[in-house]
Amino acid sequence: MRNALRVPLALAALAVAVLLPVAAGPFWTGLLTQMYVFGLLALSVDLLLGHAGLFSLCHASFFAVSAYTTAILQVRHAVPTALAAPAGLLAGTLLGLVFGFAVRTRGVYFILITIAFGYVVWGVAHRWSSFTGGDNGVTNVPFPDVGAVRVESHTEYYYLVLAVVLLCALGYRLLVASPFGLTLRGIRASETRMRSLGYHSGLHLYAAFVVSAALASLAGVLYVYYNRFVNPVAASFPISVEAALMAIIGGTGTIVGPFIGSMIILWLRNWVSSFFELYASVMGLVFIAAVLWAPQGVVGLVGRLRARLAGAGSG
Amino acid sequence: MTTPAAAIEVSGLTKEFGGLRAVDRVSLSVAPGERRVLIGPNGAGKTTLFHCITGTLRPSAGRVSLFGREVTRLPEHRRTALGMGRTFQISNVFADLSLFENLALAILGTDRRKWMMHRPVAAFDDVCRRAREGLELVGLAHRERTVVRLLSYGERRQLELALALSSGPRVLFLDEPCAGLSPSERQRISRMIGALPRAITVLMIEHDMDVALGLADRVTVLHRGRVILEGTPGEVQANPEVREVYFGHV
Repeated sequence: MRNALRVPLALAALAVAVLLPVAAGPFWTGLLTQMYVFGLLALSVDLLLGHAGLFSLCHASFFAVSAYTTAILQVRHAVPTALAAPAGLLAGTLLGLVFGFAVRTRGVYFILITIAFGYVVWGVAHRWSSFTGGDNGVTNVPFPDVGAVRVESHTEYYYLVLAVVLLCALGYRLLVASPFGLTLRGIRASETRMRSLGYHSGLHLYAAFVVSAALASLAGVLYVYYNRFVNPVAASFPISVEAALMAIIGGTGTIVGPFIGSMIILWLRNWVSSFFELYASVMGLVFIAAVLWAPQGVVGLVGRLRARLAGAGSG
Repeated sequence: MTTPAAAIEVSGLTKEFGGLRAVDRVSLSVAPGERRVLIGPNGAGKTTLFHCITGTLRPSAGRVSLFGREVTRLPEHRRTALGMGRTFQISNVFADLSLFENLALAILGTDRRKWMMHRPVAAFDDVCRRAREGLELVGLAHRERTVVRLLSYGERRQLELALALSSGPRVLFLDEPCAGLSPSERQRISRMIGALPRAITVLMIEHDMDVALGLADRVTVLHRGRVILEGTPGEVQANPEVREVYFGHV
C-alpha cells in the first residue's frame, strides 16, 4: 500500500505545485518560491546532518557568498545571468572547499568551528562596506535572463525555481542511494568500522561537505534572483540555524522533510509576525516543542501515526 | 634470504599509554596460510597488539610488515586495501543499516566504486550477489533486509565475521570471535573459521582454550605485554610457565 500510494501522491503534489500560482495569487506565489529556496538550503544541510551525522552551522555562508557574487557581478559589472549565476555557484562551492577542513573535527568541535566560519563570512558582509555594500547590501538585482529563458514576473520565476528544485531533489535521491550516500550513513553509524573496511572516512566527509556547500550555493543563487537584493542577513547565524531546524522539524535523512520543515517555518513566521511582535520567541517555543515531541520531525510523526493506525486496523 | 615473506612480521613492537607499557617489544612472524592464536590473561596486551598491527593505533616503537611490505606508518584504511581484515572484540556493525547495506559497505570498501554518486547500490548486481553469498556463509541470508538493530547478540557476532570476510582479506584478524556466545553458536563460528581457505592467513585472539587449541597451527602466549612462549598447541599446553600464568597454580 505504501508504494502504491507514493506515485499518485507525488503526482498530486506536483499538480498542486503547478496550479498554485494561478489559484493563490502573488503573495502565496512569492512565499512558496521562498519555501522552495530555503527547503533546498535545508536539504543541503541535511546531507551532512541526516546522512553523515555532521551538524553544520555555517551553511548561510555558502548561501550568502553565492548570492553576493551573483548580485555584485550582475548589478555592478553588468555580467549576464548565464555567467553571474554559475559564478555564484562556483564561489560558494570554492568556499566549501576551504571550510570543508572542518571535517577534521567531530561532534561539538565541528559545530563550534562551523559557527566560527559563519561569523567570519557574516563579518565580511557586514563590515567590508566598499565591496559588499555594508548593511544595505546589493540591491536592484534583475530577474534572470538566460538566452531563451527570460523571466519577467514572480510567477515565471516560481516555475523556474520549482523546476530547478525538482531536478535537485531527483539528483539528491540518486546520491543518497548511491555507494557514496551509503558510505556517509556508514560513517555516521561507525567510523572505526568504516576505516577498518578500507574507507578514508575523512575524505568522504570532505567530499560530502563540498557537495552540500554546492547545493547551498545553488539555493543562494535562486534566493538572490527571488529577493532582488542581498544583505548581511543572508550570511547571518540565524539563517544557518533555521536551515538546520527546517530539516529537523520536517524530518532528517529524508528528501521531503527539509521542504516540509521550510514550509512550516516560513508560513508560521509569516502568520505569527502579522499579529505578534515577539514572533521570534514563538518560533523558539515551536522549535523546543518539535525537538521534545517530534524528534524525527513531521515525516517521522506521520510514519508513527500510520504504524499506529495499521496496528489498530489489524488488531 | 630467499624464504618467502611472512604474511605478518612484527618486530620490537611497543605501545605505551602514558607510563603504561601495554605491548613490550613484541616480535612475531606468521607464515602465509598459518592459523595463529594469541592467548594470555586479561590485560596481557593482545587487543592492543592487534590494534597496532591493523593500524587502529600507532605503535610507540617497532615495525609491522605485511607480506614483506612495511606498513608501520600506513593508515588503517590503506592496510585494508593491502589485504588486512579484522573483527572487533565488541561487535562493531552498522546498527541503523540493513544486513544487505552492512555487507555492501564491506564489499565496496576496497572497491573504487565506493565513490560513485549517481547509481543506487542496489543496481550493482555483483555487489548484491556477493552480499547474499557473504550472508549465506554465516547463515543470515534470510535476514538480508532486516535492520541490524533487531539482530540478537549471536547474530551480530556472525555479521561481524561476515563483514571482515567480505572485504576479501589476505590476512584476517579475529578478536575473540566467540566471546559471549552460547556453546552451540561457539561451535558454529569455530567451524566456520576452521573452514576458511588456506589462502587466508588467520590471527586470532581467543580465551576459550578448546576453540583456540583446536584451530591453531601455532600459539603465541602474551603476558604483561611480552611474548613468553610460542609453539604448537601441544607444546604450549605442556609448558609449566604457561600453565602458571594462564591457569594459575595447579
